[in-house]
Amino acid sequence: MILNDVVCPFCGCLCDDLELEVEGDRVVRVQNGCSLAEATFMNDTRLPAPIRRTTTGWEKISYDEAIKETADILKDADRPLLYGWSSTHGEAQSVGVHIAERIGAVIDNTSTVCHGPSILAIQEVGHPGCTLGQVKNRADVIIYWGCNPIEAHPRHMSRYTTFATGFFVPDAQRERTVIVVDTRRNDTANIADEFLQMEPGGDYAVLSALRAIVRGKESIIPKKVAGISKEQLIRVANICKNAKFGAIFFGLGLTMSRGKYKNVRNAIELTDELSRHTKFVISPMRGHGNVYGSNEVFTWMTGYPFAVDFARGIAFYNPGETTAVDILRRGECDAALIVASDPGANFPRVAAAHLAKIPTVLIDPHVNATTALSRIHIPCTAAGIDAAGTAYRMDGVPIRMKKVIERGYPDDAEILKKIYDRLNGEMGS
Amino acid sequence: MTELLVKNACVIDPIRGINGDIMDIAIRDGRIVESVSDRAEVIDAQRCLTLPGGIDSHTHVCGTKVNFGRYMSPEDMRAGRTQRRGRMHVTSGYYVPTTFGNSYRYSAMGYTTLLEGAMAPLEARHTHEEFTATPHQDMMANTLFDGNWAVMDAVREKNVKKAAAIVGWTLNAVKGYGIKLTNPGGTEAWGWGEDLTSIREPVPHFEVTPAEIITTMIRANELLKLPHSVHLHCNNLGKPGNYQTTLDTFDLVPDLNPDRQTLYATHVQFHAYGGGTWRNICSKTEEITRSVNSKPQIVMDMGQIMFCRTMTMTADGPMEFNLHCLHHNKWSNHDVELETGSGIIPVTYSKKSAVNCIMWAIGLELALLTKSPWQCLLETDNPNGAPFVKYPEVIGLLMSKRYRDEECATLHADTEGRTSLWALEREMDWHDIAVMTRAGQAKALGIINQGKGHLGIGAEADIAIYPIRTDSVDPAREYRKVVEGFQKTSYTIKRGRVVSRDGEIIVDGANTTFWVNARIPEDLRVDNDPEFIRRFQEYYTVRMSNYPVQDLYLPRGRRVDTEAFT
Amino acid sequence: MKCILNTGRTVPQGTAVEHKGSDAYRTVASACFLNPVDMMLLGIENGARIRITTLTGYVVLTARSAEGVTRGEIFVTIGPYANHIISSETHGTGMPDFKSEWVDVEPTGESVRSVGELMEEIGGLRYDPE
Repeated sequence: MILNDVVCPFCGCLCDDLELEVEGDRVVRVQNGCSLAEATFMNDTRLPAPIRRTTTGWEKISYDEAIKETADILKDADRPLLYGWSSTHGEAQSVGVHIAERIGAVIDNTSTVCHGPSILAIQEVGHPGCTLGQVKNRADVIIYWGCNPIEAHPRHMSRYTTFATGFFVPDAQRERTVIVVDTRRNDTANIADEFLQMEPGGDYAVLSALRAIVRGKESIIPKKVAGISKEQLIRVANICKNAKFGAIFFGLGLTMSRGKYKNVRNAIELTDELSRHTKFVISPMRGHGNVYGSNEVFTWMTGYPFAVDFARGIAFYNPGETTAVDILRRGECDAALIVASDPGANFPRVAAAHLAKIPTVLIDPHVNATTALSRIHIPCTAAGIDAAGTAYRMDGVPIRMKKVIERGYPDDAEILKKIYDRLNGEMGS
Repeated sequence: MTELLVKNACVIDPIRGINGDIMDIAIRDGRIVESVSDRAEVIDAQRCLTLPGGIDSHTHVCGTKVNFGRYMSPEDMRAGRTQRRGRMHVTSGYYVPTTFGNSYRYSAMGYTTLLEGAMAPLEARHTHEEFTATPHQDMMANTLFDGNWAVMDAVREKNVKKAAAIVGWTLNAVKGYGIKLTNPGGTEAWGWGEDLTSIREPVPHFEVTPAEIITTMIRANELLKLPHSVHLHCNNLGKPGNYQTTLDTFDLVPDLNPDRQTLYATHVQFHAYGGGTWRNICSKTEEITRSVNSKPQIVMDMGQIMFCRTMTMTADGPMEFNLHCLHHNKWSNHDVELETGSGIIPVTYSKKSAVNCIMWAIGLELALLTKSPWQCLLETDNPNGAPFVKYPEVIGLLMSKRYRDEECATLHADTEGRTSLWALEREMDWHDIAVMTRAGQAKALGIINQGKGHLGIGAEADIAIYPIRTDSVDPAREYRKVVEGFQKTSYTIKRGRVVSRDGEIIVDGANTTFWVNARIPEDLRVDNDPEFIRRFQEYYTVRMSNYPVQDLYLPRGRRVDTEAFT
Repeated sequence: MKCILNTGRTVPQGTAVEHKGSDAYRTVASACFLNPVDMMLLGIENGARIRITTLTGYVVLTARSAEGVTRGEIFVTIGPYANHIISSETHGTGMPDFKSEWVDVEPTGESVRSVGELMEEIGGLRYDPE
């Protein structure tokens, strides 16, 4: 069977134009997708059934048993942490928030180690952005700063920017100027019209220099800023000012390096500055397929995009304190529920190690590094493969992921709902 | 079968011509009936003021930009937090509360139906997700068409039928309720960082003017037989001297519908400024209301501002940028491909600012100078002018000259000379307020025949009982009692169930979303038009098949069918 | 040699990300990209084992030469190998220093451990699917 206009759930691009060939419970061919999409659909091995760690190894258990034990763990915990959420749909995220509220847990999502600092910057200065179609149809200047779309978002350039034909940009490759700023000459840099190779940690200084030039203060700029020549900086500032529509896309190069949210704030303020000369927008390159959705769902339910602590009964938010890495680093939580993510692989060693010390339950379709740190691993559907649901693209456009095959697993929203019902039953109103 | 009897209610029901009669209201299975059995649960209203459930015909509570307002404002989230309690979830926020916060607080004030003022079609799914999480009010979504490329092409071709067909298809796809135009043409110009300054200035590249967009959409709206009229946020919002644009716009509007207005002009306070700079801005409400008083085809709402900190959010991206350049606070902007824009910035309305004081006076003047309360509805463009929890204060101000005088005495000294509020003696009565907060909205939105805005037999049993005795309170003198009374109902009844009691939510919500399906003749349907499909697939970044909002996003959706083109 | 550790996503990492027990994943996640000049100074060839040490601990990776990496920097794909040596300090932001950790790089004869071994080192227990 051939399925059209399928949504790839892997990265924040949420490409919705894939053509899949499906045979029974397997996807046998992926058209239009990148290699990440192909691997997502075709190389999808799952944990077959719930498992529990024993003193010497692992044993299979039933879903009912796994759900009951998970509810007990959460009920008995004084300071539970619910973490993950970005690779599943909004329906599961929403039950997760209800559970957190019910048991007074901390709930955090993967943006905490991704674009969390971007959110902090946006909370300081706002976010002048747009949907990706605005960029596709209008932008004549594209800046990739501290990100590498060819590796991390392989179709970003062909669908939305450099190579995409737009209404006002019919000859994209000729009409668009591409600027790349990075510490490494990566593959994206190789196709740039201007590559600014910067010394590590130089983002803040380079952004400040560009802001100064745009403001007409180029005389104060030294000959080199973080390894980039003044001439090149002036040239790039002029390209930006003369753009009809400029778009900055930034990645973890800004959020993870020295300065973190201050880098992002500076980039947003550069966009603001340029908006006084021409049209300019800025957007974070969100990683996981539905990480932005977890921010959206958390926000309309609790008021905060991530790192929400319900221990006081109200929703409390203080990144650096209520963020997952910090809670784990301090050894503060006494139980953890991990959903649709892999902190075992993605958190620094000390934080990950705490998961092994406490009862940790993982709800995820795949065996991953966190499996080894868990007490129980409950497999479930993978959103966008054998479960439908809502995801938010990196620009906030909500898209319904499709169910393309049936593999007999329960939906994670269903599993979570059962846990929630048990907690409600046992804890009373 | 569930039955409820509200006894001894002092009912004001303007649509049925009832003004303060003491009567009983019988309810069965969510609707108002002639009588109920003696097994019915009884609520004794004790001769308190009993009104149809409140309706907000222009508020921003759900969707992309509202949520972004929350996302960027942890400082506001800290301002209004409550714990989980009984059936109530945790809430956060004061001027952009979480969805549950909005829903509980509206419910406590007796509001049972809301029209979300601006939904970008491409992001409609988000709005509907939040509707589901705003469980105690029936919802409707104004759908944005101000910068819609296909519509502008149809306008340029002077093809009203095609414009109507595009609107019909879109409303059906995104489960929208009516046509919203926000700064028509201006949001497209903002795609290039520009704006339009008059309704005769052409949109870059599209060669159509706001005036042409507005007049074409008015005719398309009537061709589709939509229950609501075109809902317009005029061009030039918030600019000194913009009243002329507003008057020019009003002059474009024919009278095409005997049942309701032909144009709903929203938050007119922001569009009634004289002068030419922030230094000489003044009120032009006399000119605006003279126009409205002579044009039954126009209904407006106040867009009252109140002195507080709040968040401005609108599809009008260029306006927000201009405001940002004045305030230098944080600024968010979110343009939506082929459709519209949006912007968000926090503001503080202060009595120390002459401009803010003049704005405050203008909103009240509009209401007091408009002869028929059916033509000037009460709202604050929540949260733009003020969060909706300020409505009771607005009611108090409209009902009491003394309250206004006391407030006026605290304003910036320049206010009196540039407004007419000091001279206005009118004090609105309970009936006027009932019109301006529910009956007028029901009529303007075209939902009377959905059983909204009145308490006639067969109506939906949405009822608000306020702890106010109209026979013993003199609103002109005891305005504090009026304000307090409207802040918290004794009972808010939604479809026959008591949902809120003395401000406490006591059940889980089960709201409905109303949306419009205009049946369009086969040969005019744009989803059969290869050129429409081609342009969609080429220029949008989602596939046309993934664009429509699936029915499951409206778990209790109610489709309103219209026979278009007949 | 003192270097700054940079981490990031790559296509091979992305395609193997749901197969963390696989050899393919071990290969991509434990590859360490260095500037050729730095490799020369260290006296190592492509494919050599290197030991990367921080205050948190050390990990053994496979050296890969890459022109695009500047001198004084090393690049490792995001994942359990890099995280084995990254500090969990977030400076009050929630975000560790994933791109600015100072490390010591030296040649070694030790072998590269598997993801399972790394997890067991921090208290976990490998699960091997049948």
